Amino acid sequence: MKTKLLLTAVATFVAGAMYAADVPPVGTAAPDFSLTDSNGKAHSLSQYKGKYVVLEWFNPECPFVKKHYGSDNMQKLQQEYTSKGVVWLTIDSNAPGAEGNMTPEQAQKIMSSWKTHQTALLLDPESNVARSYGAKNTPDMIVINPEGKIVYEGAIDNKPTPNPNDIPSSTNYVKAALDESLAGKPVSNPTTKPYGCSVKYKSS
Amino acid sequence: MLIVSMEVARAFRVARALLLSILAIAAPLRGQMYEGRQLVKPELVADTNAIVPGKPFSVGLLLRMAPHWHTYWKFSGDAGLPTEIKWHLPPGWRAGEIQWPIPLKTNDPGDIETYGYENEVLLIQEITPPAKIDPPRDGFAVATNSPAILTAEAGWLVCEKICIPGSATLSLTLPRSTTNTAANTELFDRYRKLLPQNWPGENVATAKWSRGSGSDLRLQVNSAMLARYPATDFFPAPPANVLVGHPSVESRSGDEITFKIPLQSADKKLSSLPGLLVFASRPNADDRAAWRISGASEVASSRPPVATRGLLTFLFFGFIGGFILNLMPCVLPVISLKVFGFIKQAGQSRKKILRSGLAFTAGIFAWFIALALLLIALKLTGRDVTWGGFQFTNAYFVLGLSIIVLVFALNLFGVFEISLPQSVTSGLLSTAERKDDFGSFFQGLFATVLATPCTAPFLGTALGFAFTQSPAVILSMFVAVAAGMSAPYLLLSAQPAWLRFLPKPGPWMAHVKQFMGFLLLATLLFLLYVLGAQRGLDGAIWASCFLLVVAIACWMKGAFVLPTASASTRRTSLALMLLLVLASGLYFIGDKFRSAEIANVGSQLGGDWQPFTAERLQTEIDQGHAVFVDFTAAWCLTCKFNEKTVLETAPVRDAFQRHGIVKLKADWTSGDPAITKLLQQFGRPGVPLYVLYPGKSEEPIVFPELLTQRIVLDKIETIRLTVAFHNNP
Repeated sequence: MKTKLLLTAVATFVAGAMYAADVPPVGTAAPDFSLTDSNGKAHSLSQYKGKYVVLEWFNPECPFVKKHYGSDNMQKLQQEYTSKGVVWLTIDSNAPGAEGNMTPEQAQKIMSSWKTHQTALLLDPESNVARSYGAKNTPDMIVINPEGKIVYEGAIDNKPTPNPNDIPSSTNYVKAALDESLAGKPVSNPTTKPYGCSVKYKSS
Repeated sequence: MLIVSMEVARAFRVARALLLSILAIAAPLRGQMYEGRQLVKPELVADTNAIVPGKPFSVGLLLRMAPHWHTYWKFSGDAGLPTEIKWHLPPGWRAGEIQWPIPLKTNDPGDIETYGYENEVLLIQEITPPAKIDPPRDGFAVATNSPAILTAEAGWLVCEKICIPGSATLSLTLPRSTTNTAANTELFDRYRKLLPQNWPGENVATAKWSRGSGSDLRLQVNSAMLARYPATDFFPAPPANVLVGHPSVESRSGDEITFKIPLQSADKKLSSLPGLLVFASRPNADDRAAWRISGASEVASSRPPVATRGLLTFLFFGFIGGFILNLMPCVLPVISLKVFGFIKQAGQSRKKILRSGLAFTAGIFAWFIALALLLIALKLTGRDVTWGGFQFTNAYFVLGLSIIVLVFALNLFGVFEISLPQSVTSGLLSTAERKDDFGSFFQGLFATVLATPCTAPFLGTALGFAFTQSPAVILSMFVAVAAGMSAPYLLLSAQPAWLRFLPKPGPWMAHVKQFMGFLLLATLLFLLYVLGAQRGLDGAIWASCFLLVVAIACWMKGAFVLPTASASTRRTSLALMLLLVLASGLYFIGDKFRSAEIANVGSQLGGDWQPFTAERLQTEIDQGHAVFVDFTAAWCLTCKFNEKTVLETAPVRDAFQRHGIVKLKADWTSGDPAITKLLQQFGRPGVPLYVLYPGKSEEPIVFPELLTQRIVLDKIETIRLTVAFHNNP
């Protein structure tokens, strides 16, 4: 009986720990990373300490991503907050050969044709950063505060559809999280269910 | 393995895909052709060859996917979107909710878990045409004898390595007829077999939810049948605001399987989750079956205590409820008697008044405590117990009460005087004072017995809470109710000075007394009506015959058993009285009343009400209908009042009909255990209870105990809005 209890306890702990490692919850330190962008320039999270950082998982072929770029919604957000000193890092974690994986040239081309306004578009072909953040969707959004702690993770808004017509009537969680954080308030909706395509991880 | 060839083709593919996606931004991809292949072939199919007015039939959205491409279940998992169907039906036609087959669970690189369907899926919905099919309307043309055209907009997301949304406007043409035969039987049978079942009875499986210290939910299922399957899983169907991780089997030992469901939501109060308990010979096997677990209902017995309100709050409600009981019409006559007693006592010594008040209070407490102990005893033996249920649903209790009421009324009329048997009087009540005390005690007891069917709104809540609690809580709750009910008398007894606000005694009191007798007779009429509802007209008549004999016995007591009469006269009269009552009791009650047919509840249903059964409710909900359940009983005056003034009024009846809400009447007059169980699930100790089930995935809406037309009409409108929203992609 005692052994069984102990085993259950251990199993619970291990399973719990595994899950915790899967998605770092809001309030914990954001895992550091270093990636090169479309221009071959290296960016690490730690170099942006002291600033708000937005991570945005990206796949140019995903209908949910297209919903927010085709409507200019994402570009406007990027422009608004980068102008307020927020660092906006778009990450492509799709594995080579899978949908959405981009070479630096393709990334540059997308950025100019879609008129994007992020700080940088980072390439993560090994899906390592996606793995360390437990990012499963595109778009999957994370907001990190100047202390390096995660203050928001989840969906971009509350309408999980690929239809751009839903944007005007939706509540943008990322905008809310940034506005509240910048005003010194706690984020009222810190965790939501992300929606979109899956991140195309490298098969192991 | 494919990587090499993919690498080769990559530059070309990506470039083309980019071009496509840029085009797609300008004009979203509508069709389901992709790179020259048809990804999804959508079609509407019916399980019938013709439409018969008023007769429900099923229509399915058949999606045939290209190999390895899949569409999603109602909860898509870590990615994806559920398929949506929006019907264009004119008023009067109803489309039920989508009946989702048990999905497949897939795990993609990066531990991305999704629930969906591969190759093919049939999403069935029940369509109910009106009894009279209207002339042509938008999107639905039905001329006399012309075929009916059903139109629906379907939207889905289809994924393999990549995801592409698709949509189509589909229509199905069916002839109208007076008869029809089944069609597409093989297809419908195949997918109906894949529909989840309701949770089985407790003898097959029990489920218990618990919340660990961390952010995990645990579902413990005990079932010998389930344990035989090598593959068991829990598929969650969480509400929109709840984030779940990946459920897994935590342990299996003997017949017990424990699932762990990690939660990411902040909601600490979440104690269960709807979903499917899936079992099969191996994961995703074609023989997979599932039981629906709705979260709370299967685990009513292990429902955690209400945490939002403390015990003290509920005790306070109990106290207030007890106080309000004094104003209930069924208690008023007895209470008047007490007030009457106070008037008589106005001139008497303070001590005497206090004693009588205390005795009255003791009577109230005695009844409530006895009731609490009885309930605790029943609860401990595992019986279903509810407030008033085990009292008023029992015909013999009602009969006993009728006798007491009648005897009391005759006493008020002056037919006879209540005098206690010599033995009791000599022992317990040697003095006149003590005799008065006993009278007060009896009055208190009686007032409380009569009060039980009048669950005042506060009392309902408080007792509903108590029934889920420990014996100590039940007992303290009843004591609180007793205290509330007796508070005014205790106060009057302790402060007799306040009695001067009551009128002076005089001969008018005899008249009031007699008048109160008539009030009691009115109560008797009500009780006979209840008996009639339980045992039919015959039962009520046989009971009345016995009551007549009891009345004669009372008269004999008043006429012949007098202190002035000779001992032999008194003895003979008493013996005769006893004989009369016993003999008639044996005949009228022991024989005739007992065998009186149990009233057929179904025959009392008026208008468009259907009799309630648990299965019926489930079927209607499964078919996607909104269902309104009226939990009522013949002896429940509040229920009758609500029915007359709200439910049976033209505006409410019309609204129900217009919105196609199925109306079920759950008649609890004789204490149907299935209804008792449902009442308990809603935390209610008795009727009335009004519940609106808006649809399969919606929480039932519970109405207040006292209805108004406004409340009902408003709620009906809100649920229709919700449903409309859900049908909207």
